[in-house]
Amino acid sequence: MIPVAPPSPESLLEVKNLKVSFFTSDGVVDAVQDVSFEIRRGQTLALVGESGSGKSVTAYSILRLVQSPGRILGGRIVLRSRREGDIDIAQLDEDSGLLFKVRGGLVSMIFQEPMTALSPVHSIGSQVAEAILVHQVVSAAAARRLTIEMLKKVGITHPAQRFDQYPHELSGGMRQRVVIAMALVCQPELLIADEPTTALDVTIQAQILGLIKNLQHEFGCSVLLITHDFGVVAQMADEVAVMHRGQIVERGSVREVLRNPQHAHTRALLDALPSRRGSPV
Amino acid sequence: MSTPVEPLLSLRGLCKYFPVYGRGFRQKEIGLIKAVDDVSIDLLPGESFGLVGESGSGKTTMARCILRALAPTAGEVWFRLPDGRTVDLVKLTDRELKPIRQHAQMVFQDPFSSLNPRMNVRDIVGEPLVIHGLAAGAELDDRVSEVLRRVGLQPEHRSRYPHAFSGGQRQRIGIARALIMRPSLIVCDEATSALDVSVQAQVLDLLKELQREFQLTYLFVAHNLEVVRNFCDRVAVMRKGRIVELAPAKQIFSAPQHAYTKILLSAVPSPDPDVRMNFNVGEELAKLDAAG
Repeated sequence: MIPVAPPSPESLLEVKNLKVSFFTSDGVVDAVQDVSFEIRRGQTLALVGESGSGKSVTAYSILRLVQSPGRILGGRIVLRSRREGDIDIAQLDEDSGLLFKVRGGLVSMIFQEPMTALSPVHSIGSQVAEAILVHQVVSAAAARRLTIEMLKKVGITHPAQRFDQYPHELSGGMRQRVVIAMALVCQPELLIADEPTTALDVTIQAQILGLIKNLQHEFGCSVLLITHDFGVVAQMADEVAVMHRGQIVERGSVREVLRNPQHAHTRALLDALPSRRGSPV
Repeated sequence: MSTPVEPLLSLRGLCKYFPVYGRGFRQKEIGLIKAVDDVSIDLLPGESFGLVGESGSGKTTMARCILRALAPTAGEVWFRLPDGRTVDLVKLTDRELKPIRQHAQMVFQDPFSSLNPRMNVRDIVGEPLVIHGLAAGAELDDRVSEVLRRVGLQPEHRSRYPHAFSGGQRQRIGIARALIMRPSLIVCDEATSALDVSVQAQVLDLLKELQREFQLTYLFVAHNLEVVRNFCDRVAVMRKGRIVELAPAKQIFSAPQHAYTKILLSAVPSPDPDVRMNFNVGEELAKLDAAG
């Protein structure tokens, strides 16, 4: 077992010895094996790895969204919330009020493909407003006002008119902005971003990453960024954890890991980058 | 290049316009989208020609026009056949085009949707030969096995179905299907975009090897600038249906000339934490539009 460092006073989330397995008809798959990391307040941790490395399952565990046949078998997921105190998310009852508060209230998530995260049959405004109405005691009119304010913050022009538009009327970049509005409108303490820009063009990606950075600064939340792109890691994160076959094989500050990777798998991933191949360094 | 080389493919004034219809019952034509607008480029034999641009810039439409998967609105597509003749693909009838199609093949982006899930690998890879009536029976089987081996797959797996393969392996199946025709031109439309970096590196290496071995010419359509930088000899940057800059790959990246190319490059997140990317591309692109 990897010794866990004493919790730093400023840590927001501590994941310790997390174990998640999938009990399939073909046998047991240990998707996450003894994973430990922490995220500090206001900082960004990037979780990098290839498809199948377990990074998304780790993230889903934090919201207790691992679906059957997957099960969290052990470990602690401690959220040191300012609003609700310390919560071990791994221990919460499936229908407890606290888990309801965690999901979308204290911790929220943005997904890779904005079209699947949005309902096609509800207006974008009503979807953002729903997040407010679920977690806060406010009138519908107030929720509408807050929504328009939030849509403006994420860079949607004419938010009052756009409120009643549907996802199919928006471009991919605009949809991702709506998803970000939905995630941040309840002012979560932790934002999980699962490959938020993988489906986007570089120019749109740059704008969305800039937006996440600015809003993180404004709201003071921490970010768990899941990506396979070391470019995004270098530009966005303070710390990085590299996952491989369900384990974290290397963890450290972005500068340390990218400059001086210790683990063979990290080196292999870095060497596979098109920018590092064939070009004399 | 000191001696002039005859191009394998020459586009002259290639255009593809899509009509825009009104909302009313009469479906009146109210405008045109110029997806490809007056493009003229030459692809030299044996080169990898990169075509980069954002989604909606017209790069895929252009690739499809070249292979006549779409009929161009105007322009010429001159293609040099192995026997030395050059033909304008735009002017050919479908019947005339069919024997020529074997020389120009395509590898698609999504290895999941571009392979028929109900066909096994032998049928997928061998189908082009059957369609063109070039092989049958034991010969077909042999050629499928040979090409599978060449792209790094086991010929014993040819009776399996696409679902049994990983993304990288499926892309190899797609490459085998193109390669079995012994084409001179392969259009790769985002051929590695859906793959993990390490798998992407392997597939790019394979494409390079095959290029040397079979003297292939690639038209490599991509939005990932870093991939194009190392894979391609020359690169064209496309925006709103037009080529805004065309130069050797090294030059595009070290000394971009056009304002749009500069913005595009600045938006790429660098894996070096000390090289800050440009988060402000939105405003800069708006300024560029305003300037015309």
